[in-house]
Amino acid sequence: MWTTVLVSGISMGSFYILIALGFALIFGVTRYFNLAHGELVVLAGYVAYWLWNVYALSFVLTFPVAILVLFLICLGLKRLFARLTEPLELNSIVLSFGIAIVIQNSMLFLFSGNYRLIRIPSLNKSFHFHEVYMSYGQLTLLVLSLIVIFLLYILMYRTYLGKALRATIQNKEAAALAGINVTIMGTFAFCLGAVLIGLAGPLYGCTHYLYPSTGHEVTLLAITITIFAGVGRLSGIILAGWILGLAEAFTVILCGSSWREMVTALLLLILLAFKPYGILGNRES
Amino acid sequence: MFEIFTMKKLPKSRRNFFLSFIRCFCIIFCLSILAFRSNTSSAATIKIGEINPLSGGLAKNGIEIHQGIEVAVAEANEAGGIGGNQLELISRDDQSRPDVAISRAEELCSWQKVAALTGGYVDSLVGPIAAVAKKYRIPYVASASLQKELAQCKNPFFFRVSRLQDFVEPLCGILTQRFKPQHLAILHAATPGSSELARDLERCLKTHGLNVKLIEKFRPGTPNFTPLIAKMAGMNIDVIVSGGFTPDHILLVRQLKENRISPKAFIGPFGIAYESFIKTMGKDADYLYSTCAWNPGITEPGTEAASIAFIQRFVRMFKQQPNTTNMHGYTSARALIAAMQAVLHNGLPLTGDNIRMALTKLDLVLPMEHLAFDKTGDPLHYKHVVVQIQKEKLVVVYPSDRASGQPVYPMPPWDQR
Repeated sequence: MWTTVLVSGISMGSFYILIALGFALIFGVTRYFNLAHGELVVLAGYVAYWLWNVYALSFVLTFPVAILVLFLICLGLKRLFARLTEPLELNSIVLSFGIAIVIQNSMLFLFSGNYRLIRIPSLNKSFHFHEVYMSYGQLTLLVLSLIVIFLLYILMYRTYLGKALRATIQNKEAAALAGINVTIMGTFAFCLGAVLIGLAGPLYGCTHYLYPSTGHEVTLLAITITIFAGVGRLSGIILAGWILGLAEAFTVILCGSSWREMVTALLLLILLAFKPYGILGNRES
Repeated sequence: MFEIFTMKKLPKSRRNFFLSFIRCFCIIFCLSILAFRSNTSSAATIKIGEINPLSGGLAKNGIEIHQGIEVAVAEANEAGGIGGNQLELISRDDQSRPDVAISRAEELCSWQKVAALTGGYVDSLVGPIAAVAKKYRIPYVASASLQKELAQCKNPFFFRVSRLQDFVEPLCGILTQRFKPQHLAILHAATPGSSELARDLERCLKTHGLNVKLIEKFRPGTPNFTPLIAKMAGMNIDVIVSGGFTPDHILLVRQLKENRISPKAFIGPFGIAYESFIKTMGKDADYLYSTCAWNPGITEPGTEAASIAFIQRFVRMFKQQPNTTNMHGYTSARALIAAMQAVLHNGLPLTGDNIRMALTKLDLVLPMEHLAFDKTGDPLHYKHVVVQIQKEKLVVVYPSDRASGQPVYPMPPWDQR
């Protein structure tokens, strides 16, 4: 039982990471607080569902299309956000809240209020591993999240572009003074965010379900993990995702399902009280 | 002469003032025309107000109820209306939010002056609408409401076509008479209706000597049930009753399959007996149990013709098969229409008090139920049957006098399907 819970917690945590990375990256680089993040993830899921259901496109092939669609949408969003004036965080909350409502109602109109599920029989099958049944869907989530984290790590810590991105996250003004084009960095963050959302969306439609109003749950999750991690902390997001996934799983076993959200909220409050800059953050960051 | 129109020679401040004046004038003019049109168009109609969650988290169910109400109104209008007057349905979206539900109800009662209200899905939205209806002394027939407390708060203008007790009785019956499980788990969502169902079901089972091994509450929309499934597997749970909703069942059943946990029965009273659920889940929906008050092919004995007429009209209007939620909307609107007809038939004015009195005396046989209300506004004859999905079709398995097939118990394990 305990191994099942452990695997389940890590797998769910990995998915949380995938969902939160796009949000954290865009927020870190641009300071735009995108409340429509969850709606974009669900929209990417619907794009994949539509291609899979109507055109019988292979599930794997829905990823590039979803990424492309989200890429275009995110570029449009970037142009909208770019018109905002200071205070950026507050104004972007207002703007993105409106965008979220528009996306939600558009999805309701286009895809109706039925619950949609991308049913891939091979991903729902499970295998036996050390007294644990793990589905191929869970394994895909885990592996894909790890690959994305690894690639993002390489990009952020082994390339000049990553260095420029990190500099922009740490101090936008200083980065600009050092010759980094922070506007281009913002656009790049949105593009990268679109790729991550385009990856998360189809997986969300496959392992959860699609419904026009589920986006706000995803947004809330992304915000929680970003606060947990501390702004601009890639490793913090990984740690936060896994801690939350595991805390939720073990809470259900030890205290009961009704305590799940309570424990998550308590963890967040304790962290904010003792480490207000995030689990790996510090005052400078 | 044309300077005033070209405004080229006017100073900037005056030009701005002039433009603002013209804009305001245009807006007021358009609004006046609209107000005039709406007043004239409703001169010979009877207004029925409807509030449903047409957007937000409960949009699917709200839209379904709205469709059912539209069918009832269209049916009445085609038959010549009420006392020669056509019915006008004024629909409002509460966005799945109680505060919006209140403001929409206020608008319909005070500004639109509707004769009566209907619609509403889940008690958190129905409750606030009922309170506003009481304030304006306008009858409200709720389409989908379960919480006992709502009927007990002495609101003479509140009526509903469903109640919780009729979910509990057939469930308790099939569990104690047929399944008799050794280790039963009741999972319920953290909502008033679902929590009350779990409580009442446990009480009923206890009186019949059946103990519940595990009762667990979860938040609707929980993304991961695997830890809970592991816990149930550790306790050798053989029958699961889940008071969650459609999305919870989608995840829970799939995660049961992924973990190769096969209970002898999985019963989801809410959100399983739907064609859309069966379509979404495919073969994984087979052998799941649920309850329903009506479905195409499952109707109150003696109402088969009315049921078919409803289905045909619904298909004609919406190009899809109706479901039990559509029927709840239809039933609530039919109750209101019948009460208003009775008021006019008796030569009385169509006031809230007269409609309320007519509702208390209502005795109407409809496809979903023989509709009559008790003193609290609860339906007297609302009945649910237990159904099982067999080969992607709903089969009535309990009670035996309405059964159309035998229950497959225990459900076959996932790897033997």
